[in-house]
Amino acid sequence: VNEHRGLRSTVWRGRTAWALSLALALGLSACGGGSSVPVVTEQALGEKPATTQAASRFLTQATFGPTASDIDRVNALGYEGWIEAQFNKPRASSYRATWEAADAAAKAIDPKSGVWQDGLINAIWKQALTGPDQLRQRTAYALSQLLVVSMQDGTVGDNPRGAASYADLLADRAFGNYRELLEAVALHPMMGVYLSHLKNQKASASTGRVPDENFAREVMQLFTIGLVALNTDGSVKTAGGQPIATYTPADVAGLARVFTGWSWACPDAPTASSCFFWGSNANKSDADRTIKPMVAYPAFHSPEEKRFLGTVIPAGTSAEASLKTALDTLFNHPNVGPFIGKQLIQRLVTSNPSPAYVSAVAGVFNNNGAGVRGDMKAVLRAILLNPEARSPGGSGGGKLREPVLKLSAFLRAFPHASDSGDYKVGNTDNPGNALGQSPMRSPSVFNFYRPGYVPPGSAAAAAGLAEPELQLAHETSVAGYVNFMRDAASAGVGNWGTAKNRRDLQANYSAELALVEQPVATLPTALVDHINQKLMSGAMPLALRDEIATAVGTIPIPARNATGSNQTYIDNLKRARLNAALFLTLASPEYQIQQ
Amino acid sequence: MSMHSSTAFGPASRRQFLRQLSAFSTLGAAASPLALNLAAMSAASAQTANDHKALVCIFLFGGNDALNMVLPTDAASWANYSSVRNQAPDSIALLAPGTAAVSSAAAGSPARLGGVLPITPLNAQGRGFALHPLMGELQTMFNTDRRLAILPNIGPLVMPTTRTQYNLASHPKPASLFSHNDQQNTWMSFHPEGATRGWGGRMADLLASQNQRSIFTAISASGNAVWLAGEQVQQYQVGSDGAIRMGAGSDGKVYGSTAVAAALQRIVTGGRGGHVFEADLANLASRSIDAEATLRTALKAASDAPFGTAPASGAYKASADPLLLYNNPLTGVPALNPLAQQLQVVARMIDAGSGSALGAKRQVFFVSMGGFDTHDFQNRNQGDLLARLSHAMRYFDTVLGSLGRRDNVMSFTASDFGRSFTSNGDGTDHGWGAHHFVMGGGVKGGDLYGNFPQLGVKNANNNNFDSSPNQLGNGVLLPETAVDQLGATLAAWMGVSDAARNDLFPNLANFSQRDLGFVR
Repeated sequence: VNEHRGLRSTVWRGRTAWALSLALALGLSACGGGSSVPVVTEQALGEKPATTQAASRFLTQATFGPTASDIDRVNALGYEGWIEAQFNKPRASSYRATWEAADAAAKAIDPKSGVWQDGLINAIWKQALTGPDQLRQRTAYALSQLLVVSMQDGTVGDNPRGAASYADLLADRAFGNYRELLEAVALHPMMGVYLSHLKNQKASASTGRVPDENFAREVMQLFTIGLVALNTDGSVKTAGGQPIATYTPADVAGLARVFTGWSWACPDAPTASSCFFWGSNANKSDADRTIKPMVAYPAFHSPEEKRFLGTVIPAGTSAEASLKTALDTLFNHPNVGPFIGKQLIQRLVTSNPSPAYVSAVAGVFNNNGAGVRGDMKAVLRAILLNPEARSPGGSGGGKLREPVLKLSAFLRAFPHASDSGDYKVGNTDNPGNALGQSPMRSPSVFNFYRPGYVPPGSAAAAAGLAEPELQLAHETSVAGYVNFMRDAASAGVGNWGTAKNRRDLQANYSAELALVEQPVATLPTALVDHINQKLMSGAMPLALRDEIATAVGTIPIPARNATGSNQTYIDNLKRARLNAALFLTLASPEYQIQQ
Repeated sequence: MSMHSSTAFGPASRRQFLRQLSAFSTLGAAASPLALNLAAMSAASAQTANDHKALVCIFLFGGNDALNMVLPTDAASWANYSSVRNQAPDSIALLAPGTAAVSSAAAGSPARLGGVLPITPLNAQGRGFALHPLMGELQTMFNTDRRLAILPNIGPLVMPTTRTQYNLASHPKPASLFSHNDQQNTWMSFHPEGATRGWGGRMADLLASQNQRSIFTAISASGNAVWLAGEQVQQYQVGSDGAIRMGAGSDGKVYGSTAVAAALQRIVTGGRGGHVFEADLANLASRSIDAEATLRTALKAASDAPFGTAPASGAYKASADPLLLYNNPLTGVPALNPLAQQLQVVARMIDAGSGSALGAKRQVFFVSMGGFDTHDFQNRNQGDLLARLSHAMRYFDTVLGSLGRRDNVMSFTASDFGRSFTSNGDGTDHGWGAHHFVMGGGVKGGDLYGNFPQLGVKNANNNNFDSSPNQLGNGVLLPETAVDQLGATLAAWMGVSDAARNDLFPNLANFSQRDLGFVR
């Protein structure tokens, strides 16, 4: 495989060669509308999975959960071929368009109604469960936990359309360059609201007002370089036994000046100060100001010299030029590759990548082979094709599935359709009766969990392992999760729909129910084996399989009587067997780990 | 980790075994003398506790702007405060005591709030003081009940530090100052992010042997908090509604089947794949199931007096319980106070813990509220949060009074850090030192413990505050009291021996005052 990649990479890296090698075929759209639509021919590339289970395991890392059709695609295209095909998949729909359509539909019934925050959460679920652009979405979801904007913030929460636009930004740029992603993030008004550099003003010498330092600090600590100097393999650089800090309060204060003078897009920008402060002037505002990039208001931008991380931006430099220099400085810092690369590995593949794995990914971040830094496609290839990702990591490998991904894998393995069409999973924040996690609702910019979290007194701690996702787990949430899945297996998921008097997301279990048909005396191992393939990539330990099968087998199924009058009774018991087999698998610690 | 499927161990002994195994494998060979010391210290510190005591940490996540919570009102301080914080477009300078509230002013604005609330410390250090206008309950607790004390300008410190020393690279200082996650961890564990033991949990290690059930020693009504993590004691998390029963309904069945319910219990507490993380999930599930089985009967209902109010009809809803509602200053409408709800379950746990059902002698609790990172909209957001804090602490004190347990419970506030004295136009930035509260019947309340810092004005040519010995750039407070000193004072009250306090509080030896003196 490595040899093959080495040969390919020379062809691969140049933009022209890339376009040629991909065999892009242009054709007319089938509906005959006259406009030409590019049709992407998928092409097999690289190593193919040795087994269906291996393909399924790969898809657990690269998607919201393996499906039968995706497994077929990976088997046909190979890992790399599938990744390239995903790079070329357009988005089925944006989160914002999905939100807007649902909101318009709600308002058509009641003008005072709306879909609010749940509209975005549901849009993300809809795309995660039905969209073909899985790698893009899963990467965007990972980025949403790295470049965090949260609807738990009051102002962001009041602007779900803006938050949807932010989520779109991450998806649209998931396969672009990290430098461009960073700039789009820095200028998005929801980030401006969340980290308060929107309407951030220059210092006032007369009154002593100082620039807000929030974004300046977090863009360094969380989005680019982190607190301490890193080697390429992610290990910490020390001096005299102590970690070397990457920045000081003076660097924060200097960088804070860069992030002054930015505010809402507005018809009277940049001259009207009320546009700067409130996004409107003389009763005129931009209806799209929560989704358009912030604009510079020179009168509010710091005119002073800006010093940070050894960079000096001369006095009098414009907001735009200062921003460019600042983001270039951060982006080119040697920490970014290992800092961002390791966290992306943690979100997709394993909580505890080896230094060599981090180093390989960081190296590709630093240079994609064609001299380009920050190429996200190259970074994703390096993450997903690394041998450490492709072979199971043993007793400490992989990661705990986070709650949202535990649910998404189930909903995709047994495809759930939505009665409303809106996939109304809704808010799942409550750890006592739901998941303790909803997309785009992190408690703070520090995400749901920290990348280095080691649970106190845990087996992971004893083994020297980080276990970030366990930061969400406690005695209440483990019970809440089990109860949530108990009801999900038996009754579906999501908001109650009055049209059909059931939860909005429902699976068609006809194939599974067919497996329940068997002599009553036999253990239902076929059913459990089927679920094992669907949910656990075939990795269910035999002892667990037997435990589940034995329990399921205790649910009696009587013979059909002569008149068939007990058919409903039989059907209910068959469904109870299926529910039990699904639920016991979902509740198992084994399922909750992505190996 | 295969012993979980063995029937030789009952759940309790299995847990004990796992915990000890885990503790010793964590410590490793190099640390084993400490493990031996632990046992010795535990015995030494046990003393003869016949009473029940509980310590409650109220963590204000985000970094509370204590400079708008406890304010010096003497003329010089007030003039500097008003000039520094009165900035466009949204002044965060609160108004002088006695200023009438303007009901037509914008919600949360200083004018709408009216003047700050005067307090009368027993030793006022020659100055005047006040609380935020929405902390009326705590004003009463301080002035009248004298069960509330203030710790001015406290924060993480390695050793006493002057402004000059702060600027010396060679002078030891806490790592990663001004960083949220790191300073949260430092308050809780004296280390930046990554620590796996906090001083509440280590205290619990020393005290747990006095409790019948060690699981009910370190308890969070919020999420996971390293403050509660000991070497052997793990935190137990209880939801605001009490413990959640896993899987089976009250009939003991899942989908109508007792066999499935039994299998569920074996599966969630099992883990047959040999993965390290399975053991952690299984351990949590065991603890969840065992604790719920006890609390199901031991914990009184939330609707029982004095914790809550029984509904006239239907099921109890916290959001409809007048005891848990605070007056939301932004809407003017009573709303559920989530902090009060957390303290409600803490009070229920204390009630159960001090009784025979749980048989606890010493407990540490953690509750929290978020949203204090007020870079923006500080007036609105912090005012709302402080109104909740004040209401919740008063609610808790009242419930404990009804239970006759005021003298047995001590509560204190903590936060990432204080904030900048300077305004960024409508908010403040990350700081260091801050003022905090201690509350309880055992507190010599109505006083300040520590020097109240001087608030200066900024230099003409930069954002340093050379006019105050207590302020750094942006007017950030340089702490004068260390978290170690607070912890040691509380630990002494809990019965932790003097020697063990040196071990729990690594910087304590660097400070001459080992006890802040607020305990009766």
